[in-house]
Amino acid sequence: MGAAHAQERAGRPRLPSINRPIIARVLVIAGLLVVALFVFPATLGGDWINTFTSVAIYSTVAAGLVVLYGRVGMISLGQIAILAIGTWVATRLTFATNLPFPVLLLVTGAITCAIGVLIGLPALRLSGLYLALITLMAAGAVNVVLAQIQFPNGGGGFTGRTDQPSAIGLKAVPRPKWALGDNAYYRYVVVVCALMFLLVLLHFASKPGRGWAAIRESEPAALAAGINITLYKLWAFALASFITGVAGCLLAAQIGQPNTYSFPTSDSLSLIATALIGGIFTLWGAIVAGVFMQLLPFLFQAQWGVNPNFLLIVFGCGLLQVLLSAPGGLTNQFPKDMANLGRLIARKVPLTRQAAFGIASILALIVGIVLIITLKSAPIVGIIVVVLSPVFASLSQD
Amino acid sequence: MSSVVAFSVFGVDWEFLKPYIVLGLALGGVYALSGVGIVVLYKATGVLNLAFGAVGAAGALIAYWMVNHTSWPHWLAYTTCVAFGGAVNLLYGVVFGPAFAKRDPLVKMIGTLALALILLGIMAWRAPAGGAFVRVLTLPSSTHYYTVFGARVNLTQILALAFAIALTIVTTLFLRYTALGTAYRAIANDREITATLGVPVRRVEASAWLGSGLVCGAAGLLLADLYTSLDYTALTFLVISSLAAALIGRLESLWLTLFGGLLVGFVQSILTPYGSVTAYRAATPFVLSIIVLLWMGRRRVVVFAPSTR
Repeated sequence: MGAAHAQERAGRPRLPSINRPIIARVLVIAGLLVVALFVFPATLGGDWINTFTSVAIYSTVAAGLVVLYGRVGMISLGQIAILAIGTWVATRLTFATNLPFPVLLLVTGAITCAIGVLIGLPALRLSGLYLALITLMAAGAVNVVLAQIQFPNGGGGFTGRTDQPSAIGLKAVPRPKWALGDNAYYRYVVVVCALMFLLVLLHFASKPGRGWAAIRESEPAALAAGINITLYKLWAFALASFITGVAGCLLAAQIGQPNTYSFPTSDSLSLIATALIGGIFTLWGAIVAGVFMQLLPFLFQAQWGVNPNFLLIVFGCGLLQVLLSAPGGLTNQFPKDMANLGRLIARKVPLTRQAAFGIASILALIVGIVLIITLKSAPIVGIIVVVLSPVFASLSQD
Repeated sequence: MSSVVAFSVFGVDWEFLKPYIVLGLALGGVYALSGVGIVVLYKATGVLNLAFGAVGAAGALIAYWMVNHTSWPHWLAYTTCVAFGGAVNLLYGVVFGPAFAKRDPLVKMIGTLALALILLGIMAWRAPAGGAFVRVLTLPSSTHYYTVFGARVNLTQILALAFAIALTIVTTLFLRYTALGTAYRAIANDREITATLGVPVRRVEASAWLGSGLVCGAAGLLLADLYTSLDYTALTFLVISSLAAALIGRLESLWLTLFGGLLVGFVQSILTPYGSVTAYRAATPFVLSIIVLLWMGRRRVVVFAPSTR
């Protein structure tokens, strides 16, 4: 037990360290933002820009999971339900008030934050397993309620729903006045999401970040050190719900007339899977998660004509692979494994069994996806290769 | 039909509610059944199996296919459904169980989410749902009707309830009086020490996976019938009701789990005829679990667990 524990410690991915040259990181981030803000809209078509808008929104949702699981060690299976609540609140508010869009973002975030805290509150004092269960059930309950009251379409009353929508056409959630077009709105979303990431980073770098890290390492030790566990857990839940609510508001304005089909329950599972595959311990992982959740289905369906349901299988296998042999996710493991592979090719250094199976596992995942795309007539071949990935990962264990 | 006098207690017309009570107890029986399967597996291996519904749904889909698209005897289809549940769980337990054994319960649980995702993907690929097309899987027992206390009950509903109670009794006795049951309890206490004492830990855990898998296949089959349509997404997420049952049993007590399952099914069903709440009755598991959690969390509990990995 002790040895295994020590090994787990050793295998832990390094948290972003302070001594890494901060200027280089800022430059990389600035460069990526420039590409996202100016190169993408100039070169890509409308479908692509819409997809990238969704990528930004879902990255922010995944960032909420990074806060909850990566930093505090709490898992929430209901983040998509919180996103749906955010979207609903934003839609209802636009039809009831004339708030300017930035204010709407903040108010939606605040209301969603309050609801999220209320959901998490009963389970915060119990172990993480109970929080996971209660959020899963809350997601189910939110689905039930939403299926009943539907999204507002411009009516009155609390639900804002009317059976006779106005004759001119369905009312839609308006976008900000100076970001009406798809390209402009995409830029707006990227900027808001970047601000949300910044908010999270500021938390990581200050007192709450340290408190969360202490809680994740050991609750009793954190308690002994005088950290108010319930307060900091609530804080994390509030922050995650807030940025998810803001993302929900952005989503409402993106689709205009949201409906319940935008939030299938299985998305909550996909979100967990992609966030872990991307790398739950850094915000880069959240961006990878957004890409996996939104860009891949778009590529599969619209670009390559492949059944996007295969992605669920790929996500499942990738999740097992990550849990077993690469807890840091792709952002942490991929460079390491590629370096290992490079060393193997360059020097023919014999790999350890674990590293060999680890590399084989990641390669199986990638080759499998490529096979699914290329062998459209026989996707089963690709799926079999993908399924090998977690099996290799399990073999790379002791 | 006997002449029944409508009677009322607490201002509620119980005569009118009888069919709902019957259906509620039957559904509750299946929730309790799955709940017991979940709790026993959790106690033996520390894995909270969120793929319970997905495995049952996949088994039921296979049974549906065999009944409707082959000329094989129906009993073979039903047996296959149950056996499929056992086989998938056993396979997962044998391949991934040992690798997850020393990890945090949260990580073990997320591992089963992966199984659920894979099964959901396969089901959505091989058996796409949508439009007006509805799959219905009716068990032969659903055509036998009896009258119990003036309510019409079919054999499937009786079987569901009886099976739940029987499983709870048998499992309780099994855990207490058999060598294998003692091994389960020992592993639940401390896996390492149990292994040192010469218990074949991996084989015992595999047996737990197999047993809970068989229960899960049976639950899938019964739910596909009781739930009126075989909608695999709904069946997959019906695991929520079973989890509520397990939670009411505090992931520990089989009898409380049985009670919890029946309570969830009963409350859910009895709200059906009341127009103002009927649409929200599916939120029952959530509401009941919240109440239980508030009760459990009334004192601060500091959890001494290794950090989440």
